[in-house]
Formats: sequence, C-alpha cells, structure tokens
Amino acid sequence: MKTFLYNVGYFHRETWRIVKSNLLSNLFSVLGTGLILFLFGMVATGTLIGNELLAKLQQEAEISAYFSETMDESVALLLVDEIKEIEGVWNARLVGEEESRSQMEDLLGEEAGILELFEENPFAAFIEIRIHLDSMDTVLNEVDNLNGIEYVRDNRAVLERLQGIIGGLKIIGTLIILAVGITTLIILSHMIRQGIYNNREQINTLRLLGAPGSFIGFPFVMVGLLLTLLGGALATILINVLINSGYSSIDGALTFIPLPSQQGLMMNISILIIAVSLVLGLLGSLFGLSSIGKNR
Amino acid sequence: MIRANGVYLRYPDGTEALKDINLHIKPGEIVYITGPSGSGKTSLLKLLLGMEFATLGSLEVMGMPMVKGKTASINKLRRKIGPVFQEFKLIDGRTAFENVMMGMRFLGMPPRKMKDEAKNALIKVGLEEKMASKVENLSWGQQQRVAIARAIARKPALILADEPTGNLDQENAMNILKILHNVKDINTTVLITTHATHLLDGIEDANFLHVDNGSIRVEGKGW
Ligand SMILES: Nc1ncnc2c1ncn2[C@@H]1O[C@H](COP(=O)(O)OP(=O)(O)OP(=O)(O)O)[C@@H](O)[C@H]1O
Ligand SMILES: [Mg+2]
Repeated sequence: MKTFLYNVGYFHRETWRIVKSNLLSNLFSVLGTGLILFLFGMVATGTLIGNELLAKLQQEAEISAYFSETMDESVALLLVDEIKEIEGVWNARLVGEEESRSQMEDLLGEEAGILELFEENPFAAFIEIRIHLDSMDTVLNEVDNLNGIEYVRDNRAVLERLQGIIGGLKIIGTLIILAVGITTLIILSHMIRQGIYNNREQINTLRLLGAPGSFIGFPFVMVGLLLTLLGGALATILINVLINSGYSSIDGALTFIPLPSQQGLMMNISILIIAVSLVLGLLGSLFGLSSIGKNR
Repeated sequence: MIRANGVYLRYPDGTEALKDINLHIKPGEIVYITGPSGSGKTSLLKLLLGMEFATLGSLEVMGMPMVKGKTASINKLRRKIGPVFQEFKLIDGRTAFENVMMGMRFLGMPPRKMKDEAKNALIKVGLEEKMASKVENLSWGQQQRVAIARAIARKPALILADEPTGNLDQENAMNILKILHNVKDINTTVLITTHATHLLDGIEDANFLHVDNGSIRVEGKGW
C-alpha cells in the first residue's frame, strides 16, 4: 500500500507510456469497446423503457364485472365492498351508466357522434376492478362466482401479449449483454497481453530486482481501466445523444406510451455503462495479467 | 550469508556449468571471482539470484534455501540484493536517474529518500552530468555505471556484480571497485566477477576465488 502511495506519479506516467507505446491499437480498442458498450446501452435503455411500460400497464390490468340490470345500486355497492376484500384486488369501484357512456365517448373521440343514434343509453353500469396482473386468474374466478355477477370481461389478452414481447426482449437483451461482456473482455485482455509482451524486457528486469507482481501489474490494470472507461465514456455520449433525439422526435406523438422521465433514464444509463466498464476493465486486465507469469 | 554444499549446475542442453561448488561467505565479506570466459562465473551469480537452480547439492542465500518454485520468497530475497548484470539490463527509453529509481520503487522508501539515494549513487559513479540522459544514448561504460548506481542505491545486503569494470578505463574501474569496497561499511557482502586480475594486485581487504571450467580451483590470489 505504501509502495502505491510513494509511486503515484510513476504509475501515472507508466500507464500513459504503455498506452502511448501502442497508441493506434489502443485507440481502436477504445472505439471497439465504445461501440460495444453503446450496443449494451441501447439494450439497457430498451429494457428500462420496457420495464417502465410493463409496470404501468400492469397497474392497468382490470376486470369489468357486470351485474343484473335489476340490481339496486346500494346492493351493487355492497358487492364492490365484497370484491375489494379479494386478494389481488387493489381497487374496485362502481361505474354508473352515465360514466360508462362518457368513457366510451372519450375512447371514440370524434366518432362519438355515433352514440347519438341511440335513444337510450346502451351502456350498462359495471364494477371496474383493478388488480395485479399475476392474480388475474384467481380474481376472475372469485368474482365470477359472486352472487349477482352475470358475467366478467378482462383485458388480459392484450396485457399478456405485451408481457410476452417484453419477456422476449429481455432474453435477447441478456444474450446481447453476455456477448458484450465477453467481447469486451477478449479485446481488453488481448490489449493487456500485447502491452505485457511489448514490455517484457522491463518486466523481466523488474522481476530480477525483486519487484512484486502487484507492482509490475498495477500499471496494466490502470491501462485496462483507462481503455474501458474511455470506451464507456464514448458509449455514454452516444447513448445520450440517441435518447435525446429519440425523446424529442416522439415528443407529443406518442403520449399514451408511459415513457420514463428522460433525465432519469439518461442518468441511470450513464451510471450503468460506466459501472459496467469499470467491472469489465478490471476483469479484462486481470485476465490479461495472467499471461505475465509466462515470460519469466 | 552464502552457503553452498556440493552444488552442480547443468543447463538443459547438457552443459555442466558448475561442478561441486562449496562456499561459505560471511556477511560483510568482499569476494572476487576470477576465471576465464565460459568458466561459470555468471552461472554462479545466477544461482545466487534464483535465476537458475542447482541440479545437485544445496545452496542457501541469507538463510533461504534456493529451490525452485518459491517465487514469492525469492522475490523478497531479491529485494535485498543489488545485482549488476554483465549485460546491464537497463530499461531503455528512460533516463539514468529513472533507471536507478526503478530499482528502489518497491522497497518501501519514501519518494524524497529515493530521489536522494538515486542522485547520490549517480554522483558516486561519476554520472552527475548524465542523470537526465536516456540510457540508450549513453556509452557502454556509462551504462555500466548506471547499472552499478542502481545496485548500490538500493542499499542491499548483498551485491552481485558481474564484470562491473568490463567496459571501463583503468581510472573509472578503480573508482568503481573503491565504491564497491566502501559499502562494506554498512556490512554489505559483495561478490565481484572479473577478468581484470591486474586491477586486483593492490587489494588486501578481499577474498579471491578462481573458477576454471565450472570448479573452484584456487581460493586466494592464485592466478
Ligand atoms: N542458458 C544456458 N544454456 C546453456 N549453456 C549455458 C547457458 N548459460 C551459460 N552456459 C554455458 O555455461 C558455461 C558457463 O557460462 P558463464 O556465463 O557462467 O561463463 P562466465 O564465466 O560468466 O563467462 P564470461 O567471463 O564470458 O562472462 C559456458 O560454457 C556457457 O556456454
Ligand atoms: Mg559471465
């Protein structure tokens, strides 16, 4: 530890010397890791947006329970209370005939005029039940079996399709992340190996003078970290540009998609990329360093 | 300090570089190892530095048995040794000063002390003017003196100097030997190999080993 404090300047100079001694290759490896980490950043962004979407949509999971038209509103309200007690339900309320109609008007927008064709309100009152998507089946069953409920409708099919798509994206994402990790490690450990090979005489001399492995290896770990961090910085810049232009191009156009806040997303992605580069940098240099023993 | 019992060294190609070497060197001793080219002087120093290992017999340096595979303890031992290699093994692309510093950086010395020691050592070997020169731009004799400065700046318990005067004129050579003798004051043991027996005539405070064809032929001034 003392040795490291006493030699901060030396390690700093060594790191740059090793980078400069093979500048072009190192530049390319920064570009390479940068682009790979950018790919990773895109996957991560997609996953974050997907997660947000799923979380929001899962709150939208709902069941509409229709009861017999002859039922009194007060009885219906009792039913609502009963439904609220069911496990997996987080809210239930009575939607009256008028509200039911205006919901449809909202949905139809300009086409709502068509409703004028009906003399009577064609919409029945119903109980709107908000649930957790996971407990859809049990809740459906229980509600259906309640006295007074005639039939139930759910929006499960839509939600499950979305869930399936996002699940698929997650698998692809995991594969890409794996590929990113392995590629970065290969590039990096190769660069470190090359650095060690180029400096083999110096390393050998230091060995003969009794320098510990940590002293010899430290500058190479620094090089590894520097290369991946530069790559990570490049990726961060690219991904932020992408998110920025993405958000401004869909601005207003797709308001119904619940996107995460742009600031938060950019922040999270940047932190994630830098953290991943740090870990990969450390691992890659340690892999690369394992070749140091061979040129004794 | 050094104890060798019936040490043999055979290189992988079959060359018998050392045969039945028996040695007992005490702390603070200065020992000259002479002998013709190819007689095994460098090989002996390589054994002492753990660069080669005895094929037969036993060897101890500072109480540590020199056997293969103890990388960590050999590393530790090397930190107490100041080697001067026959081919110098300086690090190219760096100044004389930085080369001397490189020998000390992992010995736990504070930066101030390292710098002082490095400067003093370079001044001692007469390279005050060349501290900031890249070593590859120095003459052979100057490079040799950088190698010696690197060894003595470490304040080692044992100096292993392989032909430290090989490329030097009479005056510089005598100066280097004087420097190597002076470290005796801090009880450093010094082993010096040399061809230049004419330099040794006036030297009294040292022991002499004459190696020939891998064996110690004479102890004392017997050339
Ligand atoms: N790595 C090696 N592999 C095979 N043979 C070697 C090796 N190193 C040295 N030798 C042989 O061992 C013998 C002793 O060599 P060594 O280098 O110890 O001689 P030396 O006394 O130092 O010679 P010089 O005075 O020329 O430096 C020589 O015959 C040499 O050719
Ligand atoms: Mg030799």
